[in-house]
Amino acid sequence: MIVDIENLERYYEIDNKKHYILKKINLKIKNGECLILKGVSGSGKTTLISIIAGLDKPSSGKVLVGGEAVSKLPDLHLSRFRAQKIGIIFQDFNLINTISLIDNLIAAQVPLNKSLKEAKKSAEEALQKANILHKKDKKPSELSGGEKQRGAIARALVNNPDLIICDEPTANLDRENSLNFIKTLETLHKEGKSIIVATHDPLFENLNFLHKTAEIKNGQIAS
Amino acid sequence: MGGNSFFYFLTLDLLKEKQRFAAIAAILAILVFLLSSTLFISASIKHTLNRALDAQPDFIVQSVKGGMLSPVAEGLTDKIASVYGVQKVTKRVFGRYFFDDGKSALIIGVDFLDEQSSRNIEQIVKNINLKEFLSQENMIIGQGVYDYFKNRYFPKSYNFLTPSGELKEIKIYKILSRESSLVSNDEIIMPIESAKEILGLKNSEVTDIALNVPNESERENIKDKLLSLAYSLRVVSKDDVKKLYENLYNYKGGLFMIMFILTAATLSLLLYLRYTLAVSAEKKEIAILRAIGWSIKDILKLKFFENLFLFLFAFITGASFAYIYVFIFNAPLLKNIFLGGENLKQFAQFEPVIDFSSLATVFILFGITFLASVLIPVWKISVTNPKEALV
Repeated sequence: MIVDIENLERYYEIDNKKHYILKKINLKIKNGECLILKGVSGSGKTTLISIIAGLDKPSSGKVLVGGEAVSKLPDLHLSRFRAQKIGIIFQDFNLINTISLIDNLIAAQVPLNKSLKEAKKSAEEALQKANILHKKDKKPSELSGGEKQRGAIARALVNNPDLIICDEPTANLDRENSLNFIKTLETLHKEGKSIIVATHDPLFENLNFLHKTAEIKNGQIAS
Repeated sequence: MGGNSFFYFLTLDLLKEKQRFAAIAAILAILVFLLSSTLFISASIKHTLNRALDAQPDFIVQSVKGGMLSPVAEGLTDKIASVYGVQKVTKRVFGRYFFDDGKSALIIGVDFLDEQSSRNIEQIVKNINLKEFLSQENMIIGQGVYDYFKNRYFPKSYNFLTPSGELKEIKIYKILSRESSLVSNDEIIMPIESAKEILGLKNSEVTDIALNVPNESERENIKDKLLSLAYSLRVVSKDDVKKLYENLYNYKGGLFMIMFILTAATLSLLLYLRYTLAVSAEKKEIAILRAIGWSIKDILKLKFFENLFLFLFAFITGASFAYIYVFIFNAPLLKNIFLGGENLKQFAQFEPVIDFSSLATVFILFGITFLASVLIPVWKISVTNPKEALV
């Protein structure tokens, strides 16, 4: 999936003065490419990937994801687009703790009008792919950090999206689980998925499947 | 949207917080129970009184002297009967008998030899043997009167004190059914002669005269004619009595309004608390759903069905318990608020009557209040940028 960003700005105004979170961002990711967004905490990485995922709106500029101007889509269309085309993996996993892992995956398929049988089948396949099927009936609160991460990956993959967005995916993982996660990303890359990872983890430097690295400093792309 | 996976998730959503939902459903059910009980009692009373009024004559002619009601001369009956358009002219004898402790009962004298009166009595008291009843001085009494007599060790007869200072013993012939207690609880029905003696009326006097006018358009005209028969006469129509009852029971119905306002206020407060306390957990969950592709409409739909189910469950439970409480257990506590004016112990049995239009009003008003109180905060959370709750 192609992601095309032109002159993207995100700011908030206090007393008619603009405070920039992101300034003049220009970025292009081609189909099947993997981009690492580097930068310290508060640099604007999360805001940028939130805008790409349609979870936040830009103040100005153009954001095209798969040819769709995500910031201009009405809520219903944007939601369906996100459900079908984008899989998000959060730093804190963001699984619903009160329901089982498989039900978390079924929840992700509800917007796509799937029957329960179909939703369960896709959920089991995604859990299998993320190597966490054996814990499908456990609630997230009963899982370890690495298991939660695999659950979050399975949820991001359940609708077979073209774009995977990860926000600090290894921040809460030990080295072994972080390396496992990178292996999973490599598999997804081989399947042709476009991948964007916002991270400041050095493990993501010099990956053999990496196409681009962009460093964000004070809301601007530094390199 | 939807299909099986939506309803599966809806069930999950209801079950995952069953304790919280059970607590909300219980509070809602109690509020619905209180409102429905008031409504059922009010409807039952209105129904019984309206039925009692339907059996009443179209007009009552009374005599007023010095601003006070006084006995009517029996001879007036013939004059009234001679007015064209008037039918079923009946002499009536009744009055309050006060016991020495200040309590009172309504004595009604019936001319059992009069065909119309005896037919009326037969309707109220099933299987009455008039011959046996008239063979000695007997009375038919309401449940409240019977209870009063029994507690004062007069289970079979009672000695009434006449205005001349003599005691007059009347035997209890029959006790009126509990079903009719709403109107007959403090009534004593006895032959007209005995009633006159106890109430201090002369043989030529009656309390009032009842009559019917079948032609409705003639009623006002006939009322004027009746008034012109004597200066001291007062003519009361059935409509006047109906208005009096309506005023009284609209005031009682006002209790329903007060209860409704109180319960609606309680409900709003509870919901406000529910959302201010549960807001962070709810916010996070809604943000997760939004991030995985749920639209605002999908979330509102989920919360609507979730709370509709909750409300329906609470409404059906509350209304069913109210039905059992009022019509099976006869509304202990609340009955005293509605019928507290009775001076003898009240034995009224509420007749099962459901005012569906009022019940529907409660359902709609309560339902809208509840659903709006839930859906507005959910909508507010849903439209907020989900990023805030996720990162």
